[in-house]
Amino acid sequence: MVRLKRSAMLWAMAVVVAVLATGCGGSSKSKGGTTTPTAAGGKGGTLITLANAAPAGSPDPQVNYTLQEWQWLILTHDGLVGYKRVSGPEGTKKVPDLATAIPKPTDNGKTWTFTLRSGIKFSNGNTVTANDVKATFERLFKIGNSPNAGSWYNVIVGGDACVKTPKTCDLSKGIVVNGDTITFHLTKGDPEFLDKLSVPFAYILPADTPAKNLNLPPAGTGPYKWVQYSPQKQMKIVRNPYFKEWSKDAQPDGLPDSIVQKFGLSVEAEVTQVENGQADWIANADSIPSDRLPELSSKYATQVHITPLTAVYYFAFNVRVPPFNNLKARQAVNYATDRNALVKLYGGTNVAVPTCQILPPNFPGYKPYCPYTVNPGSGKWTGPDMAKAKQLVQQSGTKGASVKVNSDTTEVDKAYGLYFIGLLNKLGYKASPQFLSNDIQYPFIQNSKNKVQFAYSSWFQDYPAASDFLDILLGCGSFHPNSNSSPNIAEFCNKPIQAKMDQAGAMGLTDPVGANNLWAQVDKEVTDQAPWVSMFNPKLLDFTSSRVKGFQFSPQWYFLLAQASVK
Amino acid sequence: MALFIVRRLIGLVAVLFAITVLVFLIFFATPGVDPTRSLAGRNPTPETIAAVRHQFGLDRSKPMQYLLMMKRLFISRDLVSYGNQALLVVPAIASAAPVTFSLVFGAAVIWIVFSILTGLLAVILKGTIFDPLLMIFALIGISMPVFWLGEVLNLITQDRLHNTFLFSWVPPLGYVPLTQNPWQWFLHLVIPWISLSVLYIGFYARVLRANLLDVENEDYVRTARAKGLSERQVLVKHMLRTSMITFVSLFGLDFGILVGGGALLTEVVFGLPGVGQLTYRSLVSLDLPVIMATVIYGAFFITIASALIDVLYARLDPRIRPA
Amino acid sequence: MLRNRIALSALILFVVIVAVSFAAPLYAHHIAHTDPFASNITGTTVVGGKRVDVLQQGGGTLGIGVVPIGPTWHSNFFLGADNQGRDVAARVLYGGRASLEIGIGSAVLCCFIALILALVAGFFGRFSDTILSRLMDLIWAFPVYLLAISLATVLLTLPNGLQWGFIHVQPASLWVPTIIIALVYVPYVYRPVRGQVLSVREKEYVEAAVAQGASSLRLMFGEILPNVVTTVIVMLPLMIATTVLTEAALSFLSIGVQPPKASWGTIIDDGQALLYSRPWVAIAPGLMILLTVLSLNVLGDGVRDALDPRAKLRLKG
Repeated sequence: MVRLKRSAMLWAMAVVVAVLATGCGGSSKSKGGTTTPTAAGGKGGTLITLANAAPAGSPDPQVNYTLQEWQWLILTHDGLVGYKRVSGPEGTKKVPDLATAIPKPTDNGKTWTFTLRSGIKFSNGNTVTANDVKATFERLFKIGNSPNAGSWYNVIVGGDACVKTPKTCDLSKGIVVNGDTITFHLTKGDPEFLDKLSVPFAYILPADTPAKNLNLPPAGTGPYKWVQYSPQKQMKIVRNPYFKEWSKDAQPDGLPDSIVQKFGLSVEAEVTQVENGQADWIANADSIPSDRLPELSSKYATQVHITPLTAVYYFAFNVRVPPFNNLKARQAVNYATDRNALVKLYGGTNVAVPTCQILPPNFPGYKPYCPYTVNPGSGKWTGPDMAKAKQLVQQSGTKGASVKVNSDTTEVDKAYGLYFIGLLNKLGYKASPQFLSNDIQYPFIQNSKNKVQFAYSSWFQDYPAASDFLDILLGCGSFHPNSNSSPNIAEFCNKPIQAKMDQAGAMGLTDPVGANNLWAQVDKEVTDQAPWVSMFNPKLLDFTSSRVKGFQFSPQWYFLLAQASVK
Repeated sequence: MALFIVRRLIGLVAVLFAITVLVFLIFFATPGVDPTRSLAGRNPTPETIAAVRHQFGLDRSKPMQYLLMMKRLFISRDLVSYGNQALLVVPAIASAAPVTFSLVFGAAVIWIVFSILTGLLAVILKGTIFDPLLMIFALIGISMPVFWLGEVLNLITQDRLHNTFLFSWVPPLGYVPLTQNPWQWFLHLVIPWISLSVLYIGFYARVLRANLLDVENEDYVRTARAKGLSERQVLVKHMLRTSMITFVSLFGLDFGILVGGGALLTEVVFGLPGVGQLTYRSLVSLDLPVIMATVIYGAFFITIASALIDVLYARLDPRIRPA
Repeated sequence: MLRNRIALSALILFVVIVAVSFAAPLYAHHIAHTDPFASNITGTTVVGGKRVDVLQQGGGTLGIGVVPIGPTWHSNFFLGADNQGRDVAARVLYGGRASLEIGIGSAVLCCFIALILALVAGFFGRFSDTILSRLMDLIWAFPVYLLAISLATVLLTLPNGLQWGFIHVQPASLWVPTIIIALVYVPYVYRPVRGQVLSVREKEYVEAAVAQGASSLRLMFGEILPNVVTTVIVMLPLMIATTVLTEAALSFLSIGVQPPKASWGTIIDDGQALLYSRPWVAIAPGLMILLTVLSLNVLGDGVRDALDPRAKLRLKG
């Protein structure tokens, strides 16, 4: 799951196979931007980027799990395979990187054999060998706190033993080295294995890298190397003198001589710096306040790049706690919600589209469906139906109940919360705010002990499959009573719907079309049960300085930093 | 005197100890914060959570955790932030301290110079309309919220008038170390210095003026005048020198508070990565190790400063019983 | 005398600010015709005879973004709207009410606590004096913000707020910032008042009373209290000035007054996000704080001159 917000990135959960298996496929159309690489400028210079805070967690490449740092790790390190480094749908394709070719698995998907390219050097001057590959995967377990070691990479023979006793991890049965060839033996066929190799956890590190959390990513094979990682000040990468381009698709040489990211400014100040040409780009972890957008739109339109995301912003009801354990009460709030108002808070109709359902547009299994509107039927949301809402509240008998509206203290998230407080009061509830600091809110609402009543959250796809939204956010398996990692915030578990989800999941392997039809039905039934107020599907807005040329947006890694020129 | 100093030192340690215990208790009394979850990263397996819990000693008893934290803070000095594991607490403070010191030092120079000038001028112009006018200006300086003044200065220098000759020299918000580029260091800090010093200029000018007027009727001032010294000599050599006692002791206290992280809002508004900013971030994310370290750091300076002032007063005025 | 006239005008200014703030409902209902606490995202208003959106969709080439309406300088949206489409002028008035309630409340509470403690310290001898002085050091050096943040978090996350016996604190209660601010400034008031208590105690008439066998309680309230109360009264306006500023700082860090309630600090916080597009949202409450604190400081000077010309108590804002 790619979550853009820093707070949330810390706390993602989702037991997903193949995070980022393939991208959203959303074309990176931009109205005013220079998306096409044809305008590319020359090499050299420093690309200066800004972020309010350093990527959360550990900077160690095998531990960090944030898009903010991954955008940099792809420039300094390589996996055996990788995603093609281009904009548009092509960017979800996997291409050989340190390996010479993408192998066909044998033995029912249990054996994968790679041949290492020869002559590639780490930024410390040493040549990459097959032993480095084996050591990399052993380190992944030895380090002890790599988040997905026990859920993704334990599929390698010997992996489960490594999870139990990390210190003595030995993968010599699972990874067999013979000269330049490396053979992986898996405990079971794994269709997502290549995806797992394409993300930074599995990027190859020198064999002598110590098996403890590093505070600066070690030597790698990419066109850049890390020279600074100071969470209070900045992180910086500069050219790797040992780099020679071997595959333009997998790891193209970069254009800027160095890339920095400065930390510590408010997003308002960041916008001003990019306008003034004092910095070049604002990391996606910080969202640009909507009151600044008109100014960007009128004065800096060519520097703005808008890309649709397969994501949804929503408020979850707790379906186990009064008053929203009552279906009619939940539906009433859904009818009453003026999604245009919420879109307005986010930045207007050109950066967000109202929705009533769970799945986002252009997604497998998506069929437009919106019962909670005036004149339903078209599948589109057109306006709130206050009369119906009031009637439903009356019928539900929940009038007068008190509701705590949970959100975080980010300006715009607070605004959504305030909107709902007003709305719930209008419907006859007694609403009060529960706005928590960013870093606390997400772990708070996904802790089922806290019995949160009505909470703001958002979800960005990991990979384009309906289960990534429906099963992970609203499946019975994602709700754990009294647990501090219960991603099903609504605590929604409907046995007949769950049966359909399971059926659709099983069908996916054999009959993808049929499965997606079934998912569409699940989407509709869940929407009718109203565990959420779905607000809108957002678009991503990147703002670059006037000197940046050749903005490219990969569905996988978003803005490709090294492909932009500042000369 | 020696006994007094020893007593103050014991008091200092006791206060610091009490503060750390209080911070520790408040942290664990606040719901919704389980440091293990953030340390374990995203999507951790139960094994990972358990390993991390053990690694950081979070499975120990609370008093043991407290002792461990103090040991890692003071003895092994490898205490790590709960939010970002690259953030070693002790080096983080060591690298933030020069920023705060640069900010406070520059502001202090400005406020000393201007408050003395304003104070003297007000006394010289006493009886004219300029004295109350100057004092009203001083009061205006005291009456503005520091962060608001900072925001307004940012609005003007970074946005509204940034492209005019007046403020086109103002660099982007942030900090450049003195050792890296002294000129840029200076430029980056000019506006924050002004913003921070306005309050103190007003306050110190008023204190100085009042003190100068108090000593005006003292015998030695009359004697000096009678000896035929010029008014300027009397003012600077005799009156100002005496009045500086209060001035200096106040300065010590304020300087201590600010160096200890009291310039938090100024640092946040101007994006300066100092101790205040570090404190602010750790508080917002309830990052206990960093909170603990910054609180001890700040409390140390504040307590030392106030102890020094007490000693100073005790020497100057034997009537004050040291308590 | 000039000084008296200045002090008088400061008093008038302060009274006007208080009166205007407490008349906020009148302004909201009869002049601005708006509810300053309700979201008004899709609302409209009339400017120059034309009906316009309160939150206006951005134009430009891309048609993105939304900006609240700027100052109209008319009865509706005199100072414009904030990002919820609420009338800023009405909110500034309501905000003044909260800020003044907290400021005055915490200053009075603080002076009261400090006075009691100073009497205890001055009267029950060395031991209690030492303990209290260490306690003051502790409060002095303790991070206010941490206390405010954790208390706010605790209050927000408990189902029904905090409950100690008959005291019941709701999360949105103004008592939370009031009590926190009051506690923080106790040492400021305590130290000079304690000095005062000690010096009064040495006075001959008090010693005479002791010699006649007066009880400590009678002494405390009969002889010493009236003497030190003047000191406290002199400090009060300056303390209010200080607490109003502190409230603004806490609310600016989102840990003071909870939304949708408003104080000057929270409005500056809201306005900070709109600083570059709609600076008035942040500037207006800041100016109100400036005027209030300024009038209190001038007034404080006047009160000191009148009651206690020799006092050397001067507080910073």
